[in-house]
Amino acid sequence: MTRRLLGILLELALPVALVAGYWVWSEQADNFYFPPFGEILDYFRELWLFDRVGSDLAPSLLRMLAGYGMSIVIGVSLGVLLGMSRVLRTAAEPVVEFLRALPAPALIPFSLLMFGAGDGSKIFVIVLGSVWPILLNSIDGVRGVDAQQLDMARAYQIPLTARVTRIILPAASPRIFAGMRTSLAIAIILMVVSEMVASSNGLGYFVLESQRSFAIPDMWTGIILLGLLGYVLNWLFLRVENRVLLWHRGVRGLLPAARTGAGDRGRATAATTAPAAPHPPSSTLSSSEKSDA
Amino acid sequence: MLEVTDLRKVYGPDPTAAPAVADLSFTVGDREFVCILGSSGCGKTTMLRCLSGLVPATSGEISLRGKAVTEPPEDMAFVFQDYSRSLLPWMTVRRNVAFPLRYKGIDKREAATLTDEALDAVGLSGRGDRYPWQLSGGMQQRVAIARALAYRPRILLMDEPFASVDAQTRSGLEDLLLKVWERYDITVLFVTHDIDEAIYLADRVLVLRPPANVGHEVTVNLPRPRHQVTTKQEPEFARLRGELYAALDGRSVAA
Repeated sequence: MTRRLLGILLELALPVALVAGYWVWSEQADNFYFPPFGEILDYFRELWLFDRVGSDLAPSLLRMLAGYGMSIVIGVSLGVLLGMSRVLRTAAEPVVEFLRALPAPALIPFSLLMFGAGDGSKIFVIVLGSVWPILLNSIDGVRGVDAQQLDMARAYQIPLTARVTRIILPAASPRIFAGMRTSLAIAIILMVVSEMVASSNGLGYFVLESQRSFAIPDMWTGIILLGLLGYVLNWLFLRVENRVLLWHRGVRGLLPAARTGAGDRGRATAATTAPAAPHPPSSTLSSSEKSDA
Repeated sequence: MLEVTDLRKVYGPDPTAAPAVADLSFTVGDREFVCILGSSGCGKTTMLRCLSGLVPATSGEISLRGKAVTEPPEDMAFVFQDYSRSLLPWMTVRRNVAFPLRYKGIDKREAATLTDEALDAVGLSGRGDRYPWQLSGGMQQRVAIARALAYRPRILLMDEPFASVDAQTRSGLEDLLLKVWERYDITVLFVTHDIDEAIYLADRVLVLRPPANVGHEVTVNLPRPRHQVTTKQEPEFARLRGELYAALDGRSVAA
């Protein structure tokens, strides 16, 4: 318990010191670009509790979540397809490699032409940027499914749909989650970037507009809010991942001993070889966007 | 029950390449326990994969109860050597065992009964809600056996199922297998590289020599039920061991 408390205190120490340092410094600095912290806090309260939540935060979040959600759906389904078929993978590889090399913001002008200045163009840009880590990791994950699990499925005549949903997807899920984590950060970045061009609301728009009207404390509140947003979303993501991939940590022997009831006879040594362990990549499609999963 | 005639398997597109299995013929009777004995690399696994319909044979015939095997047959179950890779770690033990049943058209309630029965038969009744990785190696292989039993096959193919557990666990699993073989009234085709294990378990032992064909065959006339200590002390056991050892070695066999 005290250990845990110490851990929390240690984690808090640096942020608190940074904020306190800035606070003390900014109160007497009288710097136009770095307004006093108290002032930023006042503005923050005024703007984001909860005056502009509906007008700027909500639209941003919705675009981000829509784009991120579509990236997951597209990336995973396409990834399963390409992962299962060598022919499709070979055929798709040049296109995939070209598209993912394109910086998504380069397509903002095009997407404004295509989808207008509304949500559509922003969601398009978010999807275009964040789909790739999910797609590539899904392909990789599917290709890495243990052949013996697939043999087992065939021997027991498990139909294809069940093979995909009950074996291939779960087996690939550690990799898919790794891709989703990378994509989450990309989606947030592209949300902000896309809102800075031809937009009339959203956090990106707010930060840019504040700067243009020399409302520097306002601008800082937007930036701080974006930081908090990213932090919270990432925290939520890790919670979900931890839950969904509990088995994966169990297989790798990373769960506290109390959770595993290792047994009466024999040893579970062979069981600790992870079925979802990375496999040697054999094409550019499979080797990129590895993450620290 | 199972008839294999002139089975030949060549990997790759060239049919004249060295075969993994060649001219393999044997039969397995109903409710018989047959062990296939062979050293590593003699084509045992390839043979089993052909028999189970997982890979097509290059030529020859496999027929299970009069029906040609071209894909995994419905009344056959397979227990793989590497339990940690054939069980699904994201499912509990119970769901692993019940998993194939759904797709065999068995309704939920009956699947639950079959699952409980099979877990009980392998002595894992209390572990249904555990995950495979929470169990020891021997227990995991028992889960794999339970999954095969719950499937209610007529024939059980086992690919060196006890090769990766320690010796003590292994004898326990052998006795367990003999028990469920009688209880479930099934035919077992058991592949192993261990002479003692083959004699201890089988009604009949076929010795496979590369490229997998039956080089020698013995009938095991040891009384059942067998016992880990007394059965292995019988003179007949020692005699069979000598005969099989020589046969495996490829030397001419003294009768």
